[in-house]
Amino acid sequence: MIGAAFGVTLASAQGGDETAFACLFRDVQPTLLRYLHVITPEAEDVAGDTWLQVVKGLPRFRGGEEAFRAWLFTIARHRAVDAGRSRSRRPDVPLTLVQIAEQPLAPDAAELALEAISTRSVMVLIKSLPREHAEIIMLRVVAGLEAADVARIVGKTPGAVRVTAHRALRRLADLAERAGVTH
Amino acid sequence: MPGFPFPGRPGGEHDEPLLDMIIARRALPPDAPQEMHDLARMLAALAGPAEPGELAREAAVRAAFRRAASPVGVSPAARRPMRHRRPRRSRASSRSRARLATALVATVAGLGSVLAAYTDLLPSPIQQVAHVAVAAPAPHRTGSPPSTTTSRARHLHATLQPTSRPGPRPSHSAGTAQRPGQTATPRPRLTPFSLPPGHGTCNPAPRHSPVPSPTASDRSWPAFTWSPEQSCPSVVTWPSG
Repeated sequence: MIGAAFGVTLASAQGGDETAFACLFRDVQPTLLRYLHVITPEAEDVAGDTWLQVVKGLPRFRGGEEAFRAWLFTIARHRAVDAGRSRSRRPDVPLTLVQIAEQPLAPDAAELALEAISTRSVMVLIKSLPREHAEIIMLRVVAGLEAADVARIVGKTPGAVRVTAHRALRRLADLAERAGVTH
Repeated sequence: MPGFPFPGRPGGEHDEPLLDMIIARRALPPDAPQEMHDLARMLAALAGPAEPGELAREAAVRAAFRRAASPVGVSPAARRPMRHRRPRRSRASSRSRARLATALVATVAGLGSVLAAYTDLLPSPIQQVAHVAVAAPAPHRTGSPPSTTTSRARHLHATLQPTSRPGPRPSHSAGTAQRPGQTATPRPRLTPFSLPPGHGTCNPAPRHSPVPSPTASDRSWPAFTWSPEQSCPSVVTWPSG
């Protein structure tokens, strides 16, 4: 999070300052990419499309840092949904590849136990959660969005988002304990 | 694992304040269960700084930003001359235009049909229908519709001369009864308001028919005969009575 300097940075970027825009990019891109890795297999491409749309809409954006993040993650989710629809329309995907892609991403517990706590290992654990749980953890906890913003993005009520976030965190802690990631 | 409730375990709802603290990225109390601390550490690692490769697209995104920020760095569509751009119309606007055009065409066609019916330009069956429906003139019995000029002239004549007026009516030279003893010599006919080419004078001498009131078959245009020996005023007037 940029914090207090966000307003100045955003204004400079909106005025055409490339350095200020790069500051915004570096601040959000890692979280954005990790979120997209959870919800789509084409995370890199979707992230690129998201930033292109942000570049187009940046001069018209009004709001603070939380609103900026909510806007960006909303765009990202829409692009991911579009990518999913496009992917589902492709008729030439061999069945064997589909079956491989649909297999659970959770790694073997023994493999995880060998890894230290790292972003990558936690990402593997997050991906093993149900999609809805993983997405809400990424948006609510990792991206730091408010419950109301997350509710708008995923189409739920803020109360449902809170309940789902708690449930997902408990499940994640359970997975981590069983995998030995936290030891 | 005492003190840390997991799903399905007793006391699962008591960890909510701690979970809310983790979500809000606040520091946990020291006496919180170790599992909660581990979970907070995991999520902190997930929100950590960029790893190698995660900023690989920075150059491409910055290039897109430069293009957008540059005054000339606009989309190819915007660089096109204005005359190549097609105005964007909404679907609703196109629909309303189509409706308007359809209504206009229908109105013009309807008015044209009524006008054609009243000028007796329609084929006989259709003219008969128009005669019944909109009180248009009855169709000719001869079958084929009259020529446009004759029909229009007849309509004009009917307009100028009230049908209730009694008296002899001029009759058409063709297809009408001849006076006894009159020979049918072909004469050049003139339509009203016209002069023969190359002649400045004419003599509108209509041949009046003895038939007092026209029927549907002999509603005809008064024939004008022209003889070069006679002269008339330069303005051709309509024969009265």
